[in-house]
Amino acid sequence: MSQDRISYAKKKSSWLIIDKLKENAFNKGLTLLLFVVGAVNIFPFLFMISSSFKPLNQIFEFPFRLIPKDFVLNNYVGLFSPDYYFKRWYANSAIMVLSTIIVKSIVIGPAAYAFSRLRFRGRDKIFLIFLATLMIPGDVTIVPRYVVYKMLGITDTMWSLVLPNAFDVFFVFMLRQFFVSIPFTLTEAAIIDGCNHFKVFYKIILPNAKPAFITMVIFTFIWGWNDYMGPYIFITDTKRQMLTVGIQMFQTGYAENYGLQMAAAALTLVPVILLFLSAQKFFIEGVATSGIKG
Amino acid sequence: MRLKHYRDLKIYKQESITGYLFILPYSIGFLLFQGLPFFLSFIISLTNLRYVSKLDEVRFVGIGNFTAMIHDKSVIEAMLTSLKYCLMYVPLTMMLALLFALILNQKVYARNFLRTLLFMPYVSNIVAVSVIFSILLSPTNGLVNTFLRSLGVENPPMWLLGTETALPTVVMIACWQQMGMQMVIYLAALQDVPRELTESAEIDGANAWQRFSKIILPVISPTTFFLTITTIIGSLKNFSIIQTLTEGGPGSSTSVLPVSIVRTAFGSFRLGYASAQGMVLFAFVMLITVIQWRGQKKWVNYM
Repeated sequence: MSQDRISYAKKKSSWLIIDKLKENAFNKGLTLLLFVVGAVNIFPFLFMISSSFKPLNQIFEFPFRLIPKDFVLNNYVGLFSPDYYFKRWYANSAIMVLSTIIVKSIVIGPAAYAFSRLRFRGRDKIFLIFLATLMIPGDVTIVPRYVVYKMLGITDTMWSLVLPNAFDVFFVFMLRQFFVSIPFTLTEAAIIDGCNHFKVFYKIILPNAKPAFITMVIFTFIWGWNDYMGPYIFITDTKRQMLTVGIQMFQTGYAENYGLQMAAAALTLVPVILLFLSAQKFFIEGVATSGIKG
Repeated sequence: MRLKHYRDLKIYKQESITGYLFILPYSIGFLLFQGLPFFLSFIISLTNLRYVSKLDEVRFVGIGNFTAMIHDKSVIEAMLTSLKYCLMYVPLTMMLALLFALILNQKVYARNFLRTLLFMPYVSNIVAVSVIFSILLSPTNGLVNTFLRSLGVENPPMWLLGTETALPTVVMIACWQQMGMQMVIYLAALQDVPRELTESAEIDGANAWQRFSKIILPVISPTTFFLTITTIIGSLKNFSIIQTLTEGGPGSSTSVLPVSIVRTAFGSFRLGYASAQGMVLFAFVMLITVIQWRGQKKWVNYM
């Protein structure tokens, strides 16, 4: 009887081991599959970086070599030659994105604080009206936006990109949700101790909401840097153009110089990818918890 | 002594004033850059506005722009192309996103690294992407077609340059670029599925497919609902990706509604007519949202 039990237990445990092994093999298989998919997924980027260091006649070479046979830098050198505005576009985009981040932080922080902490008549109604506009896709209002900016006299300046992005509704919502999760006892205690609301915002909310602010800054940077429709519509002066639309001119104007295009594409992607890799914890958590718009 | 109502307290009044002051700068900007354009889009769509500098020539044309659209073949075609794009893009993106999220949610090795690989295209610049793909997918000497020929394919597809293949190719590239977002949101939802539910089903003998279809899918249905709406809206505002990849061509095979709006407005300077097309796009978005909202009771489970 007890013998039976022992053999049953042995049998059972050996099954468990086999199950475990099976599961292990299954997970290894899945990992391998994902590595293949991931490699295919980032192949375009590898192709871009590798091609940007190749002379023109080797870009279309088959089979593809990841490490160029002849390693050249003249694509990058060419980009910075006085023939192109590349440097200028790069600076324009950087200044535009940084200005957006600054203006946005100044206007959105206090608004989100008011919506989360202060009581005043009509607060929730105003907030709902703001939220409802999230449903309007930007492509719908492109014509009236152009009309309004033209009347304000900000077309052909970076402000036609900075201001609309700075007053984006989404981040008021995101910051408000985050501020609400900061314990009210903290801020109330400060008020009782004689802090005014400006001080509470500055000394208590800001330090506690760092992750939310970092998420906002990262998204603002990436969306601003990658924006195409805004500069395409609102900026016509080549000198004042942003990088995204600027490098498209390489595609149409210098069609045969693929190496140059690849180098331009690579330098455009580098800051965003570096930012993403260094702050991806915030980025992906921000996406997951707030369900960022698509 | 009766307590005063809190609204009559001095501290409340102060708080109110602070509140209005705090939202004032944002509200002004919001009205100017979000509210006003939306409001104006209704008005402009009812006029024959052509140039912003010649406002005195503007006439009110009622619903003329909308009736003109019915007879305008190119606009109708643009709507149909938008619809085709949406019908291809939304299911493909949602299914791939869910599939990869499910796999990432298993005990795979180097999960964070793999997640990064899959998410990476999302942060990339659309023009850079278009430069890369126009070279990779060049019909004559691009790497993809050279590869296909070496496998013995005699007539490899024309990809972005073929009338038939351009739209599906754009959809594939858009899916590649944007799928990471949906995947990450799905992954977060999957990580919230209570373990005891799937584990007890497993003990009761449910196989992997049953656990997926009977437990996981219903539990994550609010996420699916939310993602479906945002993905559909996202698929309708695809000006940037179309303009950079194909500029609406070849012919008009990828001219979606947003491309038509921009062309009407800034190519032929018919701002009123373009705005009316924008209104139609907006109506589509609202319609889809309302349908989804009504239909959600049937398949969305809130726990």
